[in-house]
This record gives sequence, structure tokens and C-alpha cells, in this order.
Amino acid sequence: MESDPARLPVDAEGKPLVPRPQPGYYPKFSTLSQQAFWDAATRTVVLQRVTAPPPVRFFTAPEAEIIQRVIEHVLPQDDRVPERQIPILPFIDERLFAGRTPGYRFEDMPPDGEAYRLFLRAVDLMALEAHGAQFLRLPWHEADVLLQSVHDGKPSGAQDIWKKLPVKHFWTIMMGDCVEAYYAHPWAWDEIGFGGPAYPRAYFRLEGGAPEPWESHERHYAWDLPPGCVSGEHEAEAAHTDTPTHGETGSH
Amino acid sequence: MLRRKPLLPILGLLLVGALLYRPRRRPTARRVFVEGMEAVAAHIREGRFQRGLSLVAGLSSILAGADVASEHYRGSYNQKIMWSPVVLSGAMTVAGVWGAFSTWAARTVLRWTSLATLIDGVVGFGFHIRGIARKPGGWRLPVANIIMGPPIFAPLLFGVAAYLGLVASYLRPEESPVIDPRTKAARLRDFLLRRPPPAWRVELREGRFQKHLAAVTMLSTFFSGFEALYSHYKTNFKYKAQWTPVIMTPLLMGAAGASMKSARVARTWLPGLSLLAMLNGGVGFFYHMRGVLRRPGGLKQLPYNLIYGPPAFAPLLFAACGFYGVLASLMRRETD
Amino acid sequence: MSFLDTPVGGAFRALQDDDHHLGPMQRITGTMRCFRDDEEVDYLVVGVGSAGGVLCQRLARGGFKVVGMEAGRFWDSERDWVSDEAGSHGLYWEDPRVIGGTDPLTLGANNCGKGVGGGSVHWAAFAPRFHPSDFEVYTRDGVGADWPISYQDLKPYYELLELEMPVAGPAWYPWGDPHGYAYGPHPMGEVGNTLIRGCTKLGIGVSVGGPVAILSGSRGDRAHCIYRGFCIQACKVGAKASTLITHVPDALVHGAEVRDRCMAARIELGKNNRVAGVHYFDREGKARFQRAKAVIVSGYAIETPRLLLNSACPEYPQGLANSSGTVGKYLMAQAGNVIAGRFDELIRMYKAPPAHCLTEEFYETDPKRDFARGFAIQTVGPLPIAFAKQMMAAKGVWGWGLRRTMMDYNHWCALGLLGEILPWEDNAVTISATDKDQFGLPVAHVTFNLHDNDKKLIAYGKNVVMDVMCAAGAEEVVQESRCAHLVGAARMGSDPATSVVDGFGRTHDIANLFVCDGSVMPTQGSANPGLTIQALAARTADYLISQGTAIFNTDRRDMTPPPVRRELSPPGTHGDGVPRLK
Repeated sequence: MESDPARLPVDAEGKPLVPRPQPGYYPKFSTLSQQAFWDAATRTVVLQRVTAPPPVRFFTAPEAEIIQRVIEHVLPQDDRVPERQIPILPFIDERLFAGRTPGYRFEDMPPDGEAYRLFLRAVDLMALEAHGAQFLRLPWHEADVLLQSVHDGKPSGAQDIWKKLPVKHFWTIMMGDCVEAYYAHPWAWDEIGFGGPAYPRAYFRLEGGAPEPWESHERHYAWDLPPGCVSGEHEAEAAHTDTPTHGETGSH
Repeated sequence: MLRRKPLLPILGLLLVGALLYRPRRRPTARRVFVEGMEAVAAHIREGRFQRGLSLVAGLSSILAGADVASEHYRGSYNQKIMWSPVVLSGAMTVAGVWGAFSTWAARTVLRWTSLATLIDGVVGFGFHIRGIARKPGGWRLPVANIIMGPPIFAPLLFGVAAYLGLVASYLRPEESPVIDPRTKAARLRDFLLRRPPPAWRVELREGRFQKHLAAVTMLSTFFSGFEALYSHYKTNFKYKAQWTPVIMTPLLMGAAGASMKSARVARTWLPGLSLLAMLNGGVGFFYHMRGVLRRPGGLKQLPYNLIYGPPAFAPLLFAACGFYGVLASLMRRETD
Repeated sequence: MSFLDTPVGGAFRALQDDDHHLGPMQRITGTMRCFRDDEEVDYLVVGVGSAGGVLCQRLARGGFKVVGMEAGRFWDSERDWVSDEAGSHGLYWEDPRVIGGTDPLTLGANNCGKGVGGGSVHWAAFAPRFHPSDFEVYTRDGVGADWPISYQDLKPYYELLELEMPVAGPAWYPWGDPHGYAYGPHPMGEVGNTLIRGCTKLGIGVSVGGPVAILSGSRGDRAHCIYRGFCIQACKVGAKASTLITHVPDALVHGAEVRDRCMAARIELGKNNRVAGVHYFDREGKARFQRAKAVIVSGYAIETPRLLLNSACPEYPQGLANSSGTVGKYLMAQAGNVIAGRFDELIRMYKAPPAHCLTEEFYETDPKRDFARGFAIQTVGPLPIAFAKQMMAAKGVWGWGLRRTMMDYNHWCALGLLGEILPWEDNAVTISATDKDQFGLPVAHVTFNLHDNDKKLIAYGKNVVMDVMCAAGAEEVVQESRCAHLVGAARMGSDPATSVVDGFGRTHDIANLFVCDGSVMPTQGSANPGLTIQALAARTADYLISQGTAIFNTDRRDMTPPPVRRELSPPGTHGDGVPRLK
């Protein structure tokens, strides 16, 4: 999809940064270019992920549309050119379709598939209650604010549904699924400067954050949040040492 | 006239010089030094420096032993044969010091210990090649596995140090007369067998093995320089000074190689570059020690930092290559 | 240069052979012995993980007919494992389970393994010993429980297993019962350097380069560590110890059968209050029954109590071997808070094994603190997905905030708190009334609550780690509360009324039913449990071997300590490495 300039990160002067094939501070770094050094089993798994994301089978088409829109908010990729945006929905769908759990279900949560469907009903209901429109019809910022309330654990509406769906637990699971798809992708590794698969060849510059010969040096540039975005910076939970234990014990 | 008045700032030779010096006139410090050096150079030229070289071989084995002991500790002595160079370097130290005091020990104990150490070095080279092959990816990942595997040329470098001891065993002790120092027993044996002593032996005894030693200098410089190259590459040449041994290596190798053809190079470029290599090694040692102390934990983690920080003795082994070059420049050339 | 751009000879290709690989060089050779269901084997070990692998190997060497039954796969490291975070889910026990309580324990990748080798396939391999004080927590501190055995009982097995794995570490390890390691320490990554810097600045002692069960020198067919940082995704290199590569091959050589992809459903109680065998589902999903003279349950802290509870029968209505009512209770996890610091300099924490440096300076009870017991600080090296999840919890970031934080991944360094959580009766594994797994078996319901002492310890401990991180020069320090490791839930003790098994792992109720894994621990210290689990298994094996057929014929309970059998170690164990100090 085309990126709205208002949704783009900005440079030091507040001007939108043009979407690039590869955001991040490691220009030209490419883990995929190193695939000859990976073992065959790993290469198969990673290339499958890049070239053939699984089909969407769990969500219905209307559901998929909503969840895709949610993903665009909770893990935005407007700074990537469209052909280099990382698919996330197919991997969430695949897990739910296969009925795979992360190894647990919170006792007060429905099974994950059911939880996602409840969530989709909740966001639509919240949009209706607040704006009289379906979630998909909400302006970008309003949708952002709506999801912010879910992130904060204080959903702005649809309270009947949230009684059946503990909001913090669900947020943790959904965001976990999203990052599990995004940061599993070689393009995301290139973005953050992670070396990717490392067998049989690994590293020899272990110390001092030095790059391997095939890695890139970091090149920082001014990068700021899109103006008006609500999913921005958050107070660090414990910048100094006498704050209490974090409340997010559900995410052990 | 480097050949006549070499200024060798090296402890071993100073020591020997001081031992040999017999003051005739009222000594001044400068005269002591110059005459000592001249005496040393003359002894080297004539092959009469067995005690001195034994001592150097013995003492340098302490360094080589410490180096291999810590390197093999990093490899956890996972094979019993990894103890062999540690044991042998200890034996070399004993044999070398003993050889400095006893000609008999130099000709027997030191000779065989050195030979065993030399063989151990060659066998070790084989094991190190195998060790690299057994890393994931083996020789298909030469860069990564040479850097992270067993140091490929270290055993040969270790062998070169043993070679010094071997040479010492064939030299004549310092007090030998300049001309025909062969023992009565040897002369009797040659007479009975009607066979002259082999030429290489005579040449060694008379200090005529310059080309030979130049070749050894070239080889050992290659071994040491290659190690400097890959281990400095490992740290991404963080300091510009890390390039110096890498640059010095081909220069010194070139000079040593040319010395095998040209006596003039052996008198000029070879000692010059060799001295530079020794200086470089000395400075490198200082920087490596500083690097050890600058590691996280510094002095509090000294044993760990010595073993896992910049290798303290590696620059000294590079300096030793310079020492071989200086020694070579002082030799007489083989009779053609 | 071409050899910098591709490997010599081109890209690494898929293997063309049919061998069973356990690393680049190691292979399973020979054919495995197979027992029939109606053949009464001597020992049926349920779960071939850290404990089960050692048990199978020891008992097979002792001449017994052994079957190890494993729910997961018998891994081929070259084909089944990948150097990839998202592709490694198969390593973890991700079958359905229900969690609850005030501080629910997230299970799965964090703490539960599946497949031959079990958790030892995906552990980070920190292998410190427990301290002598850990065995008498109740006597010393009036909390928790005492073990029926002492440190001295286990010490010979620590020494043995440290050679069998082997454990690499410093020549002198000062905490607990001081000792040294036969394999030298590992080089540091920048996370370890950060811990050293911070600790040195604060005057805290630190152990550099171990103890960690990763090879710091090749051994036999196992290669030296290559510092790739994918320990938790299973070690394709074969450098990290797992019973899959250290003990199971030797077990097969000595005639044990490892029956993989077989899920134990129920232990059958036969005549005379003795178990007769195990009902299980084979790899085709068919229900079968394996007869055995004795059964050892080694399913770890969730599946062991689940199997015992699911095996309830008229004689034991509240679960097999559960006349005390303690099966499933006193489950423990360790506080595993992750403290992340952002540095101006690059760290690149994905390099080097996550486990390479630690301190146990705060391990023991300190009367100056307002809580009992203590904690350790260890390096952790989360890969991008794990780190993103940690940052979401620690900083509350999402959306663009998350993307921005992750763009700085290489500037972050993570250290882990490892704090002792005491055994509490209400932290329990029960059987879910509603949920069933793919075999129709009721799943485990795990309740977990932190108590006052635990909360004080965590609050104090995480502050210490944050101080260390600040002292190392971090400009921003955040933390995520989480737990690591699982032990307890079938604890050992001398009193049958308050414990499930005796000091050798034999259930108090049934003479030929044993439990041997992390679940027998009455307390857990703040050391990673892996080494202790394997040491306990080796000790139980020595006991069973010294008892001979008495286990199969009588109900008499001989509590004589067995002799330590060094000769049962896998080949190549002894004579390696540096002579160890003490």
C-alpha cells in the first residue's frame, strides 16, 4: 500500500523520511547475501519464510482485513517500500490454523484462536461505540488511539468482550506473535544489524561490538517518530534502581 | 661497517659479551660495551658461541613454553599430546642452561632435546591443520577457521626456537681456539673411518652458515607474521600500530631471502630490518601488556586477561625472528 | 576474494547420507536394540531428557534391559535443527497446558524441552553446582525445606558429571564449595565484558568464562564452541553438552532402547502394590502397553506430576504415589528477571554463547537483608525475537516505539538475575478439568504465586543487577520480570507424609516406582538446575545398580549409600583436560 507522508518517521528537521527498501542503521547489510555460509536445513527454513509465506486459512477474509489493519498499527512498516514490507498476518494465521500454542494458555483466557476472534469483535465494537464506524473505516490516528487503550490495558469500550478476554494477556500474545513474525525475517535482521544464522560459519569478533568482515558498520542518522503517532516512546519502567517490580508478571 | 661494529641491544648477547670481556685497560662503560660486542661478533663469526646460544635457546624456551601452555589451556588440553610442547619447552630450558655450562650437555642433552622439540613442532603443525579441518565447515571456511581454530603456524614457530638449540649443539664453545678446534677423539675417528667430517658440520662449527640461517629467518618471520596478520585481522586492526608487524613481515622476509643470494644484503638490509623487527616486537610486547591490563577487570582478572587478552609473548616471538636475522648477518657465508 | 564471499567449493549443501548426525562429526552408529511390548524390561524410563539420558546410559552399562520412552523426536542435529529463532519451536514442549495464579509461569520455550535430550538440548548450559547450604535451607534459615541428602552425598557426582559433559570454567571457582574446572574458561563476548566491568567497579567478584557445559576444546567427535550464540536453539556444533550427545549414544551402544515419539499416558499399578508398566501412545497414535519390572519417571517438573496424577487408580485415588498429597506441590521456578542496558557503544549481544560469565557473590542468606536466601547474576544474550518481547514488557513499547528500540538492538546488553524462589505448597501442578491434549489426556494446570520472601528477594536482586549495569556505563537501564527453570513438584524427603520420594528417588508409596529429574528437588538455590539434575540421576543409577535385582523382587528399602562408579562414565570422560584444583 502507499504510505501516507503523515505516517512516516521524520528526520531532524521534521521532514518525512522517504520509505526505503531497508530502514535501520546498517545500509547495504544483507544477511541473505551470506546464505551460502548457512547450513542447508537453516537455509531451507529461512528461504521458505521469505519466498513462500503460508496462505491465510484460519481467518476469514473480512477478519483478515481487520487483523491486517491492526498489525499495521502495532508493528508499522510505512518506512519500508511496499515490496519490502514483511508479511506478519500469514504467520499468525498459520499458528492459529495449526492450533499451535506458545506452550501455555492463561487460565482466564480462551484458546488463542477464539481469543483473536473475540479481539476482532472488540475492536469493531469499540470503534462503533466511540466513532459510530467500523474499525476499518476509522481515520489512522483514531485507530491508533483505540489500540493504545488496549495496549494500556484500559480498553475504551466493548467491556463485555474484555471480561472474557483479559486484555493484558491478549496484548502480550498478539504482540508476541507479531514480533515473532517480523524479527524472524532476514530483512528485519538487516534493519537491526543482527547477523542471522551462524552455522557452520560463526563469529570471530566477539568483543567490543566489532562487526565481522561480512557485517556492516552502524551509520546512525536522525530518525524520529512520525508526528502525532501514539505508539511512540514510553517511560522507561525503571530508569533508576528503587522502582518496584514491574507489573507485567504475565510475560515471564 | 655494520659487520665490524654491530650495536645489538639484546640481553643475551650483552650477557655473553660481559662474560667474555677481559679488561686490559681501565674500562669505561662505552669501551666495555664496544669491545664486548666486538668479541661477541667475532665469536659468532667463528662459530665459537655455543654457551651463549645454548643459554639464549634455554631462556627463550621459557617464553615459548609460557605461550604454548596458555594457548593450550585455552584449548583445555583436550588431547594429551597438547602437553608435549609444554613438557619439551621445560626440558629445553634445562638443556639450554645446562649446555651453557657444559659442552658435553650442549652436544648431547641439548641436541636431542632440541631435535625432539623440532619434531614435536612439525607433528603439532599436522595436528593444528587437522584441528582446523575438524571445525564446523573445516577448510571450506579458511578465514573463520584459521582465526578461531588452533593457531596454524604456532607449532612451527615453536620448532624454530628449538632449531636454535640444535644449532648451538654443533657450535664450538666460546673458549675454543680460533683455528681447528676439533677434538682428538673426532680426529681419531675421522682417521680410522677415512672419512672427513660432513661439510655442514664443519661449516656450523666454523660459523659459516649465513644463508642457512637467513632461510630460517625468512621462514620464522612468515610464521610469526602470518599469526600477527590473522589475529590483528580478528580485532579488525583497531589500532593502526597493529599493521606494523604485518608490513614488516614481507620486508624482513624479502631481506632474508635476498641474503641467501647476496652477501651485501646480508650485511646491510638484513641486520637493519632485523633490528627494526626486534624493536617492533619490543614495542608490541608493551602494547599487548597494556591491552591485557585494559581488558575488563584489568588486574583483578589478571590470569584470565593474560590468557585471553592480546597474547603477551607473540610480539616477542616476532622479535626473535629479528634476532635470527641479526645472528645471520653476523655469520660467515657457506663455502661454495 | 572468493573465499570471503562463499565457502570454498560453494554453498553448504544438504547431507547426502542416511546417517543419524549428532553434530558435524558425531553419528549414531550401529542398530538400536528394540524390545517388544510384552517383554518385561528391567527399567522403563519415562522421558529421555537431562536425567533420563543419564539414567538410560548408566543402567544399560550396569547390564539392565532399559527402555527410554520419549514423547518428542530423536533429533538428527544436522537435519532437524536450524540456526534460527523462529524455526526452533519443535525443541520446546508446546503441547497445551493451562497456567494461572497471581504470577502465572509461562511455559514452553522458556523452560520445557521435548525430544531426546529434553531441556538439555535447549538450555544455555550454565552449570554451577548447588552450594552446601542449599541442602539444609530449613535448618539454616527456617524457610523452605531440607534435603534428605547433603552436598557431600552429591559432590562426587558433581565432579563426575563436570567431566562427562564436560563443564568449562575457571581454574578456581570461589563460591559454595570452592573447586576448579578441568576444561578452561571461554573467551568473552561483550555481554560478559559488561558484567565484568560493572562488577569490578562495584568490587563484586565475578567468574569469567564459565562454569558452562560447552566445550572449550574439542573432545572426540565433538567440536570446540564456535561462539555463534544460538545455544537455546540447540547446538548444531555439538559443543554444548546435552544428554542427546553425551549419554544417549553410549546408552544405545550398551543395549538401551530409546523409543521416541511415544507419549506415556498412565502408569499401571499391578499386583502387590507394584507398578507393572506404562500405557502409552506410539508414534502412530496407537495405544500400547510396555511391561517393566520398575518404572522411573523423568518427565520434569510439569509432566512428571501430570503423569502421576493421571495415573490415579482405586488404590491411589488422588494420584499414583500420592498418599502424601504432595505430588504436584512445591513447584519452583527461579526469578529470572532480565535487566537490559543501553550503551553508547556497540555490544552485539548475539555473539558468543548467552552463558559465559556470572557471579554468585549474593548467593547465600545475608542477615543484613530482609529476606532469606539469595541470587546470582548471569549473562544472557537474547536474540531479536526474544529481545523484542523483553523490550515490550520492560519498556511497554509497541508500534513505532518498538521499531525504534529494536533498531538499537546492537546497543543493548542483557544480564539475568537468577534468584531463589522458595517452595510453597500453593505453587502446584494439578490436572486440568477442561483441557485435553492431542491424545485426549488431561493437561497440566500450573498455579504459581510469588510470596513475600520471593518478592523482597526479586526487588533487591534486580536493583543490584541494575546497579551493575549502571556501573558498567549503561545510559538507560530497564528490566523485565520473568522466571526461569522449573523444579520441585515431586519432592524428595525423609518423611513420607510430606514428600513423594526418598533420597534416591524411590517413591515412598511404591517400591518399584521412581522419580528422577528436577521435580525431586525440595529447594533449588540460585544455581541453574541442569548439572544437579544429571548428578542426581547418576547417583540414583549407582544406587539402582548396587541394589541389583532387589528392586524387582522385594519392597525392602535399603538406604545404604552406593559406591561411586566412575567406570560407568561414557568413553573419553576421564584423563581429559587440565588437572583440576580440588
